[in-house]
Amino acid sequence: MLKEWRTDATLPPRFHEGVWRRIEWAQAPVAPSVWAVIAQWIGTVLPRPALAASYVAVLVAIGVTVGWAQAHQETARVKDELSQRYVRVLDPYLAPRQ
Amino acid sequence: MKRGGFILVLGLVAAAAAYGCVYLACTSSARSFQRSEKPELAWLKVEFNLSDAEFKRVSELHAAYLPKCREMCTQIDVQNSKLQKLLAAATDVSPEIERELAESSRLRTECQTMMLRHFFQVSQTMPPEQGRRYLSWVKEKTFLPDYGMPKE
Repeated sequence: MLKEWRTDATLPPRFHEGVWRRIEWAQAPVAPSVWAVIAQWIGTVLPRPALAASYVAVLVAIGVTVGWAQAHQETARVKDELSQRYVRVLDPYLAPRQ
Repeated sequence: MKRGGFILVLGLVAAAAAYGCVYLACTSSARSFQRSEKPELAWLKVEFNLSDAEFKRVSELHAAYLPKCREMCTQIDVQNSKLQKLLAAATDVSPEIERELAESSRLRTECQTMMLRHFFQVSQTMPPEQGRRYLSWVKEKTFLPDYGMPKE
């Protein structure tokens, strides 16, 4: 039946090229997602002792620096507030009225 | 993955702990100021390195000055309200307004003299170098050229 089957229909333009492109896409390796890359990195690279120690040390250094900077800012703010308060208490023209 | 995740979390926890420890340690002086009965005097003690004896004397001077300051505040308020009443009804500078303006000036002079006297007394209680620093700071804060003028 196949031998007897004939068709006059013509192929659409660039049909062969399209077929080969689809085959190439299907065979191309799938790019891993960002999360998969991160998970892979955490699972395989991070546990290396040198890297793990560096990672923890860097995060501790960041914590110390940010803590110190914010504490410095807060202390300066409190000192400034108290110095102004001292002046306000002594100066009748600035003293808070009840 | 399990070990990597543990290290990841350990790093974050260590960073948070380091932040908290440093922040709490470095703000302990500020917190102790705020906890004290008179925070502004606690600040003064630390800022000008006062010994306990010097601080006691400064606190006594401070306590003795406050009633005089309150009395001056009352006089200033009375004088201001008198002047405001006159100014509200005035269309020109009357002799009465002139008199009240002069009285306001006299009050301001009296107030500044009283303050300055107190500042000198306090500075003399401190070690000489700190006393000079205190005087320079407090004069700058209370006797600036734009004293009493609103900031733009």
